[in-house]
Parts: sequence; C-alpha cells; structure tokens
Amino acid sequence: MAGEEGSWLPDAARDRLARFDASGLRTSLLPVPGAVGVESVGLTPIGEVMGCIVQYIGFVGGANANFGMGTWGFMPVSYRPYVDAMYHGYDTALARMTTEAAAMGADGVIGVRLTRTALGQSNQEFVALGTAVRARSTRRPRSLFTAALPGQDVAKLMHAGWVPSRIAIGLAVEAQYLDWNSRNQMSMLSGNTEVNAPTELITRARHFARDTFGRHARGMHADGAIVSRVQLRSWEQEANNATLLCAESEVFGTAIARFHTGHRPPSNALTIMPLRAPNGPIVKRQS
Amino acid sequence: MTSADERQDIPEDAMRRLAEMRPGQTTALFTSDLSVNEFLLVREAGFRPLGMVLGSSIYHVGFQFGRWNRNQELETLSNAMYHARELAMTRMEAEADVLGADGIVGVRLEIEFKEFGNDLAEFIAIGTAVKADEPGSWRNNQNKPFTSDLSGQDFWTLIQSGYAPLGMVMGSCVYHIAHQRFWQAVGNIGQNVEIPQFTEALYDARELAMSRMQAEAESFHAEGIVGVQLLSLPHRWGGHTTEFFAIGTAIRPLRADHEISKPQLVLPLVDT
Repeated sequence: MAGEEGSWLPDAARDRLARFDASGLRTSLLPVPGAVGVESVGLTPIGEVMGCIVQYIGFVGGANANFGMGTWGFMPVSYRPYVDAMYHGYDTALARMTTEAAAMGADGVIGVRLTRTALGQSNQEFVALGTAVRARSTRRPRSLFTAALPGQDVAKLMHAGWVPSRIAIGLAVEAQYLDWNSRNQMSMLSGNTEVNAPTELITRARHFARDTFGRHARGMHADGAIVSRVQLRSWEQEANNATLLCAESEVFGTAIARFHTGHRPPSNALTIMPLRAPNGPIVKRQS
Repeated sequence: MTSADERQDIPEDAMRRLAEMRPGQTTALFTSDLSVNEFLLVREAGFRPLGMVLGSSIYHVGFQFGRWNRNQELETLSNAMYHARELAMTRMEAEADVLGADGIVGVRLEIEFKEFGNDLAEFIAIGTAVKADEPGSWRNNQNKPFTSDLSGQDFWTLIQSGYAPLGMVMGSCVYHIAHQRFWQAVGNIGQNVEIPQFTEALYDARELAMSRMQAEAESFHAEGIVGVQLLSLPHRWGGHTTEFFAIGTAIRPLRADHEISKPQLVLPLVDT
C-alpha cells in the first residue's frame, strides 16, 4: 500500500472533508435497496468518498528494455515496471479513498468502483469511488474494510456470517516472441490445431494474475475471496523485427472473512419467487 | 429473517473479526468466481468453494470449403470446435483435481477471437471448484469432478430437489447451408414460400448437435439433461456456415422423491 502518498489529499478533498465536518450532511452513492440492506446489518452510510490519481507511465519495460539478456529467442519479456506502476495507481487511489473515509470516522467503504482510464498518450487516471459506512458497534476494525460489492451483497454476506475485508487485485503482463512452430500452426495451410505459444502465454498471464490476487487476499488473513471481474487483453506488436505477443490479465475481487463460528449461519435464505415477468431474455447469471 | 436482537450482534461480531485480522497470518484461502448470491446458496447446499479454476486453449480454426449448392456438415470444423472446447474443459478439470474438488459449478464456456493472427480463437472455461461438507460420492463415473454450467441458484434448487449434476455435455455441428440455385431463386421472386432446403439444413444441423450431446449424457449414465442451450454461432465464417452448439448439464437422481418446498410468492417493489 502507498503509505505516505496515500495519506496525502489534495486541497479539494480537504475542503470537502471540512464541509462534511461543518454541516454533518450525510451523502451516499447507494441505491435504496443497498442502503436499506446495509442498515439491516448495522452499517450506516455516512458519505461518498473518492480517491484519484493521474499517473504518467513512461517506462513500461518490455522489448525495448534490454535486461542484460538477448531479446531474440523465446525469452520471456519483463513488463515489471508497467505492472508496478499499475499497482501503484490502484493502491494509491484506494488509499486516498480510505484516508478520506477514515477522516469521516468510517469503518469501511462499500460499493467501490475501481476504474482506469487512459488520458492522452501515456497518462492513466485511476479512480476509486465508494460509500463510507460506520458500524453500530463498540469495536472498530484495525484498518478500514473495503468492498467492491454492492450494498445488497454486503448485507447478504453479513447476514450469513461473512464480513468483507479488503479489495484484492491481481495484475500481470506477460509477453513472448512468436516462435516458428506457432507461426506454422497459425498459417493458412495448417488446418485446425491448437497454437502453443499464445496458449502458454495467456495461461501464464492469468496464472500470475490469479496468484497475486490470492496472495493479496491471503496477506490480510482473509478466509476467502469473491472474484468480481477477470479480464484479459491481448495484442501483438513489432519489436526487433519480430512479433511480440502480449497479454495483460487483471483480476478484481473482495476478500471476505468469516465471523460466525457456530454451525448454522445467523440467517437462512428464503425461497421466494418474484411475481414479475423476466425482462428480456432470461439472464443466466447475476452480475 | 433475523429478529431485532440478533441484528445487534451482527455489526459487533463482524467488527471484532476485522479487528483480529493481522497481515501476514496465513490461512487456507479460497477464491470464488461466483456472485455473492450464488456463493451463499452453494454454501447452503452443503458445498465449500475451494478456488476459481480455469482452462484455456488458443486454437487455430481454419476454414473448410463446402460445396456451393449442397447442404453438408463440415466435419473438420465440427471436430475442431469440439476439440478446442474439450481442451479448455479438461484443463479446468485438471486444476480442480489438484484442489481435490468434488465438482465445478457455475462454469462459463466462452469463445473469443484474438487480436493476434487471423482465425485465432481462445476457448476458455471458468468455474468455481467446490467440495462437499459431508463426504460422499460426488464424482462421476469417469472419476472426474462433476461439472455444471448451472448458476448457483439453479444448482441449489437441483440439490434441494434430489438431483446431482454429473457433467457438462455438449455437441457441436458446423454446417454449410447450400445456396439456392439461380432458377430456383428467380422462381421465388414475389412469392411467400418455404425454402425446403434451408429448413432441412437447419433441422439436420440441430439434430446432429443434439444427438451428439445426448450420446455424451448416455456415456455418463445420466437420467437426463437440464439447462440445455441450443445456440447458433455464426463466428466469422460468413452467412452460410454456422456452428450449431448444444450444451447442458447431465444429472442423476440422489433419491426417489423430488419434492421441494413451495416457494413464497412476493411482489417486489422495484420498477425494473
């Protein structure tokens, strides 16, 4: 986590906090069902909070960065500086958001939306936006909990004996030169076959992303993690007169911890059937 | 539902748990690709999620030429589409096997065409590996963890009603539908008529896909297949070549009666 930089807030954010202190006006980004849901588990929304950072990512590593090794061949290419910069972006945005929430006396931030937008050529904006909540409890968590889950989901989890602990992120960028074997497998004449190099590449990218995601969540002593988004972006680029295949994988989710120790959870699901026509085609999966 | 007294304990207990958490302590962590609803229902059905599992394969799907004016299956392509999906599924099952899972729920099987190269598609299978709280024989007759593309909600209902999933079954058929001959097309101008050769082609192709799916279910000794989807996927082959893909979950009975408690009806006060 970004320590110093995360605790720094721009003037506009400090003004907002001062206004919140003076007026005591409570704001919330939660929809009505979400707000009612979290109220039912003893969490009161106290304000919308935001953290934001714009970063210039000038050095991405990769093919043009010779790390002492020959770049030709099947050598994997390192994008470590780029991945580190991305982590720094997400972490700082989240840290600034929680700093703001902590200043309001919150115990956690829920319904966090984490976005990354490209501004111009090499600038990236990272934004974390959520609703700060305070628990009606005598205990306070050691550090604020954060959840990418909407209010309804937080409420359902807590009714079942689970509490969200922190947003976990896994990122990985992997790249590798296209070898002759794969080039042959991709040619018009080769027919239908699996193509080894790209398969290995994306498998590796996803593996590393899931691995860091798991470590991130485990580092908090959480019991589990609910994955909300798995993304993969792939592209090819020309480097050193060869084709470089690149894959970027991102895994986002919320680490959760179990607080209910008994055999039965605090409450059970009720089987109900809503009396409304499904809108559009029947949706198979929810969010 | 919870009463007012119980509600008092929830924030108190939850905050105490958070206060006890320290970075650096190691735990057996699970990851889950399920939504919160699905996660809680799978838990209530008596299963623990072990981890998100996935398998993928990048496949070069070339082209096979069909005769311009003939209805025919393009076997090479059918086999390729099937083989690629099978590779992804097998790799996902292998990951679940390492975790010691009894099954995989909420499997999504997707195809994505890739930016690199022409005709390259990624076949990916993602699901959540689960293990039953009470030991039992959940694996299927091939001693593999069961797989199911049902949502957590459907999985819960299935277990409640006394059925267990055996495995996902699928059938694929890539079909080339004949073009109309010139005089036939001219003869149809200004008329509303059935084009028998198109109708036949679609019947034939769907039948092939479904019979292949059924054959897979029979090899599992399944009682039936639920949640069948019959998709026609044009992919990138132009108007006359289409993949017909049938996919569903083969199930077996757990007990003789299949009664479930009648759900309560509610009228939600939301406008969506």
